[in-house]
Amino acid sequence: MASVNAQIKRGSAELAVLTLLAEHPLHGYEIAKQIEAQTGGVLRFDMASLYPMLHRLERKSWVKAEWQTLLNGRRRRCYRLTASGRKQIAPLRAQWRAFFQALQSVTGFQNA
Amino acid sequence: MPDWKQIVRKKFRVVGVWSPEWTEELAGHLEDIYEAFLHRGLPPEAAFRRTVVQLNRRSEICLTLRIIQEVVMTDFARKVGLPGLLTFALSMGIAIALEMAHVQPKTILLGNGLPLSLPPTAWLCLLPFCGAAGALVSHRSGGSRLQRIAACLFPSAIMVAVLFMVFVAGFAISLFVPDSGWNWAFTVPALALWLTGQAILTAVALLPGAVAGEQIKRVRLLS
Repeated sequence: MASVNAQIKRGSAELAVLTLLAEHPLHGYEIAKQIEAQTGGVLRFDMASLYPMLHRLERKSWVKAEWQTLLNGRRRRCYRLTASGRKQIAPLRAQWRAFFQALQSVTGFQNA
Repeated sequence: MPDWKQIVRKKFRVVGVWSPEWTEELAGHLEDIYEAFLHRGLPPEAAFRRTVVQLNRRSEICLTLRIIQEVVMTDFARKVGLPGLLTFALSMGIAIALEMAHVQPKTILLGNGLPLSLPPTAWLCLLPFCGAAGALVSHRSGGSRLQRIAACLFPSAIMVAVLFMVFVAGFAISLFVPDSGWNWAFTVPALALWLTGQAILTAVALLPGAVAGEQIKRVRLLS
């Protein structure tokens, strides 16, 4: 799989996380694991990029974090999407769609 | 099972702002990675080695810097603190330049013998530009109208703070040093005059910069 430029990864990361959290609340490790699995390893979060981003989203009130005790008795900080965060998904998607369409018109590449 | 909390704490002890909540969160993440490796059949030593890679030097530096950035660069710092410091630095820079050009503050002796120190007129005339610069930077960081005005008036706030500290320090010294010369009848009016001559006059001179910025923004929005 071709590697993706860091800037593009960073820009798309928020949309990826918000979209994932729109389905159900997840904790950090699950978010990283699911994004890696769903993108075939193209988007991969390490701790240095994941947690500052999650905390940034939390500060923007797009996600809310709560400590939850899992079935195995361990505590994990789970992130869930807020109403404000849900509202961000459509504009972000529109921006990325416009970006890819613009890129397509220049380079002639087609979406898979 | 390794003590992941202890490992995280040890790695990031350099960051004084580290919170137990973040430690637990990162430790939980490492614990999950470690268990995933064990489930894949890796022996504990190999699983441990591959897990701590997450805390390699690059990650450690990135995470530390970002945490410091997140903690230090609060909304207040971004929208008021840094723009305010810019206003302050510009105003002080101009004051130093004027002093080098031998433009001195004026001191007027009032009827009761109290000195009223007034900043140079040239400095006061240039202050609106400093205020406008601070307000502009605050605006670019997403500052509200109140935050833009606060950034604009930051030098005055610093002057008031310095004045307050001088007052408190002077009073404290007067309590411990006999014959320190502390005289309420002189000190309070003198400080009030200094406050008027420096802090308030400076604020009045800075404010038009922010007001002009607001007007320009309104015109741009209308056009």
